[in-house]
Amino acid sequence: MKLKKYLTLTRAGIMETFQFRLSFIVMIIGNLLYLIVMYFVWSAIYASSNNDIINGMAFTDTLIYLVLATAQFNLMEMYIVWEIGNNIRSGRIVLDLLKPIEYRKYIFWLFSGGVVSHFLMTFLPTFIAVAIATHGAISMGINLLYYLLSVVMAISINYSIEFIVGTICLYTESIWGINIMKQVIVLLLSGATIPIAFFPEPLKAIINYLPFQSIYNAPLSLLLDGTPAAETVLSTLGTQLIWCIIMMVISKVFWKVSLRQITVNGG
Amino acid sequence: MKRKGLRFYAKIYFKILAQDLKSKMSYRADFIISTIGMIFTNFAGFISFWVLFRNFPSINGWGYYEMLFLYGFSLISLTPVQCLFDNNWNLRQHVYTGDFIKYCFRPINTFFYYQSEIFDIKGLGQLAFGLITLIYSWVKIGLGFTPLMLLKVILLLISASLIMIALQNAAAATCFWIQNSFYVLDLVFRLKDYAKYPITIFNPIFRFIFTIFVPIAFIAYYPSLAILRPNEASILSWLSPVISLFFFMLSYKIWMCGAIRYSGTGS
Repeated sequence: MKLKKYLTLTRAGIMETFQFRLSFIVMIIGNLLYLIVMYFVWSAIYASSNNDIINGMAFTDTLIYLVLATAQFNLMEMYIVWEIGNNIRSGRIVLDLLKPIEYRKYIFWLFSGGVVSHFLMTFLPTFIAVAIATHGAISMGINLLYYLLSVVMAISINYSIEFIVGTICLYTESIWGINIMKQVIVLLLSGATIPIAFFPEPLKAIINYLPFQSIYNAPLSLLLDGTPAAETVLSTLGTQLIWCIIMMVISKVFWKVSLRQITVNGG
Repeated sequence: MKRKGLRFYAKIYFKILAQDLKSKMSYRADFIISTIGMIFTNFAGFISFWVLFRNFPSINGWGYYEMLFLYGFSLISLTPVQCLFDNNWNLRQHVYTGDFIKYCFRPINTFFYYQSEIFDIKGLGQLAFGLITLIYSWVKIGLGFTPLMLLKVILLLISASLIMIALQNAAAATCFWIQNSFYVLDLVFRLKDYAKYPITIFNPIFRFIFTIFVPIAFIAYYPSLAILRPNEASILSWLSPVISLFFFMLSYKIWMCGAIRYSGTGS
């Protein structure tokens, strides 16, 4: 059973999160506080404007978009770059490479437990809370299914990007710098800090050709669109799928090539 | 034991600082990448700011240049914490592994010794970025310039940075009690992003929280008010140096209380 060995890793991950209950609670409270602050900032921003709808987004749309972007960030951010980087620094990576499982898969399944527990403990409650708070501004239809599908692909793309950036650590021995660059680029160009709809046209055109908008903007715009046209859904999900495959191939090939580079001191 | 003077501590500080810089220089690639990463962060922050103001000309009665002033002010006041107190981020690891005990055995102030160990040069990029932003908005608003004003702004900047230092000290010190303080630190780190908004956008409860408990309103809003709109400034703006000193001392006491309580791991 191939899947069984992966799921064992997932279970271990879930158990690990619940081991640190106190920090988990602190995280949930902190998140709540952060979301409330976000609510105030954006309601003030919208209140200062003369229009109710800006760039095709009403206040509730923007709020849902940004709140769920934060929830998605918590769900997807697995600190893979730190894991790989620290393992390279300490030399422990040798032990992981010896395991009878591909390293890329191993790390993914190792962290999948964290994703599952975050989904249940933070993502779902946030989703329900924002759905209630905005009085049904999220239409509950087929778009939920699209959203779910889209998030799964977003997780995959995000993981590939993290893995690529983690691989760069083999060359640079820099973790903080590499990681912060990745985070800044991904969060800005994916629309996680400010919805893509707000960006000026030329910038939007460039962003559309990059993989990052598939991580946050694509799933969230599918969710907010209550009556999606088949065309939009197909093109959005199709673009995501293509990026999914491209990034996966790049991360695999890059890792394979880079592995020859590895130098471990003792270990 | 005789109390050691300021000169003694200054001498030690520069000795430790030189050691730290030497060790940083041996990882030159890491240093360069981290610096670029820091510039990226500031640049991305500015882009989000700019995109936001393209769509909304003002927030709660605060125009573009006034908001830019707040933004620049917050960047500068966040520099000292980045440069001088960055070791707080490692505190939880030191405590967890037991390394922290080494700081307790030195015949100098534990807090001083711990914080002086790391000097983060890349924070200086942020300082430059903040200075440019502040001066640019200063000129655009037409605030004029007198030596007294310069003195005022420097004093206010110092007190604002003390607030952020205090917040980070207190957040880091939680690890003496709850082991993993990462989420507390991370929350403070994320909340500071909202320091650049006028406190008036929040409802009274949060205004109270951000003034008394998590005093991020003192990082930019209250001190800036004393310069931008002296007529509107409340007593809190003028008292901010005293208040920040109080918060700093409080955080120092909390930190030291945790350090004294620390009993090591036995290894």
